[in-house]
Amino acid sequence: MGRNRKPSKQMLLLLQALSAGGHQWRHGYDLMKETGLMSGTLYPLLMRMADQGLIEAEWREPAQTGRPARHVYRLTMAGVAFAQGAFSSETVPSSKAAFA
Amino acid sequence: MALATYSLGDDRYEWALAMQAEYEEARAAGRQLGFATGCLVAAWREMPRHAEGRLVLADHALALGLLIPVAFLQFACAIGLSSGQSGIYGMLAMVGTKDPYLANAQLGALPVLLVLWLLLGSAHLRLAWALLDRDWTRVVQSGSLIAAAALTLVMLVGVLHLEAAFLGPVVGVMVVELILILAASHLHGRASPETTLAHSAW
Repeated sequence: MGRNRKPSKQMLLLLQALSAGGHQWRHGYDLMKETGLMSGTLYPLLMRMADQGLIEAEWREPAQTGRPARHVYRLTMAGVAFAQGAFSSETVPSSKAAFA
Repeated sequence: MALATYSLGDDRYEWALAMQAEYEEARAAGRQLGFATGCLVAAWREMPRHAEGRLVLADHALALGLLIPVAFLQFACAIGLSSGQSGIYGMLAMVGTKDPYLANAQLGALPVLLVLWLLLGSAHLRLAWALLDRDWTRVVQSGSLIAAAALTLVMLVGVLHLEAAFLGPVVGVMVVELILILAASHLHGRASPETTLAHSAW
């Protein structure tokens, strides 16, 4: 399962953020801050990528008591391969400068 | 955030919970409004992509695009805002012109026509509300009331030799409404088993 279209600039930013740091689990709000994407752009991308099997998600207990459990995301093997293919054929924009 | 959760529906409920959890982080950072607005935009972008979202959009399009405007047209006819001969003042102006012997009867029927128009308008609003609530029993009741009021209106206008030119579009619109509501109930019936009431009600 994979995309046939070229990934958008926003998706490349997200792939870059998810690929950084050794493919660790990332929170949605942290991805927003790192990529500069708004929630209205980030979440549809995350949903698409989850539907396509490029990322996986799980729930994590919150660091602070009284807060709800948080969703974390990381690339799947298919997502890693997709990201490598995307980076090799595209120039990835820097996170916030691209949207200045 | 509540509206975003509602808009995402059951299919994306986990994502709605995920957004709500991150909203707490955004609120701690003082960015809650922008975050929540973005989540609502994300939810609305998702609506056409899942069956329940498409149903909600179709219901709202039918209610807001057809039923409510028709309701206000009926009210406009009742209170004399409509132009031409379809409204109450148009009818009043036509009294006795086609058949002078019916003038008294026509005048006497005008209050009844007024009530029928108000009833048609109210029933359309009730129908729109019932459709959005997915209360198919009330949809059937409202539809029956509209059909009965429209039939009475047609009969009165015909018997009293009042201006009937406007009736064609009125009946045409109601036929279109009936077809669209039947289609909506069929779609809902396919989407969720508890909507079998829709079919039994019809």
